[in-house]
Amino acid sequence: MKILVVDDSRIMRNILKNILKESNIDENSIIEAQDGREALNIVQKEDIKIILLDWNMPKLNGVELVKIIRSDENLKHIPIIMVTSEAAKYNVMEAITAGVTDYIVKPIKGEIVKKKVQEYLKG
Amino acid sequence: MKVEYINPFIKATVNTFKGFLGAELKAGKPYLFDKGNNDIRYDISGIIGLAGDVRGSVVISFPKLVALKVVSDFLSQEIKIFGDDVIDTIGELINIITGNAKKDLENYRIMISLPSIIKGPNHQINWMQGVPVITIPFESKYGPVYLFLSMKA
Ligand SMILES: [Mg+2]
Repeated sequence: MKILVVDDSRIMRNILKNILKESNIDENSIIEAQDGREALNIVQKEDIKIILLDWNMPKLNGVELVKIIRSDENLKHIPIIMVTSEAAKYNVMEAITAGVTDYIVKPIKGEIVKKKVQEYLKG
Repeated sequence: MKVEYINPFIKATVNTFKGFLGAELKAGKPYLFDKGNNDIRYDISGIIGLAGDVRGSVVISFPKLVALKVVSDFLSQEIKIFGDDVIDTIGELINIITGNAKKDLENYRIMISLPSIIKGPNHQINWMQGVPVITIPFESKYGPVYLFLSMKA
């Protein structure tokens, strides 16, 4: 059981990893990806329990990845929490239509990320 | 450039610094940037391109020492090298500012590019031809921070 953290900003991935570690999530169960394509490769190989997913990334963006995952019978059940700077309502709607499970706008508050991750871990 | 574009970016910049760093930013009066004659100094800029109903760019610029202080504060460790950590943090800062500003510009559908970074003393920025650039100066505990907006519908 692994948690996948996807963001093209390494600093942002570190922040998210630290928040997860503060929630007593073992560092070894956190996997990182720096774009949607790398994330897709990992999702196809590993047993991923939750994805924390940025939107604006090179190669394959977050919403495109959500669409691919949601159309794949083996992967479509994975909870995806979008963590993005995109704060406009039409963006939130677009992400929900694509199939995200939850949506957090950056700058993030650690408490909110922790709460949501715990919620989907209990599942 | 419409005045209604400006306030969402001021608000988003103040909120991003507050949320990201817990730092207060005080916005000065916006003024027209004179490309040939400006007395402000900056060494690094984070740039986001806008497409869709509004086109143009949003740029945040810092003098080197200010950028190093911002990034050190953000990472809770002293950063002395003007390198990857600075580039990554400033790219993410301008990404968050622009994404957040869109929330108050919902009459327009705007797509944002990935951030790019330019370094160098008073480097040139490729502004869109014929579109004015507005400077918004901010004061902070780190020193001066500048936001530049150049947008057209
Ligand atoms: Mg990103």
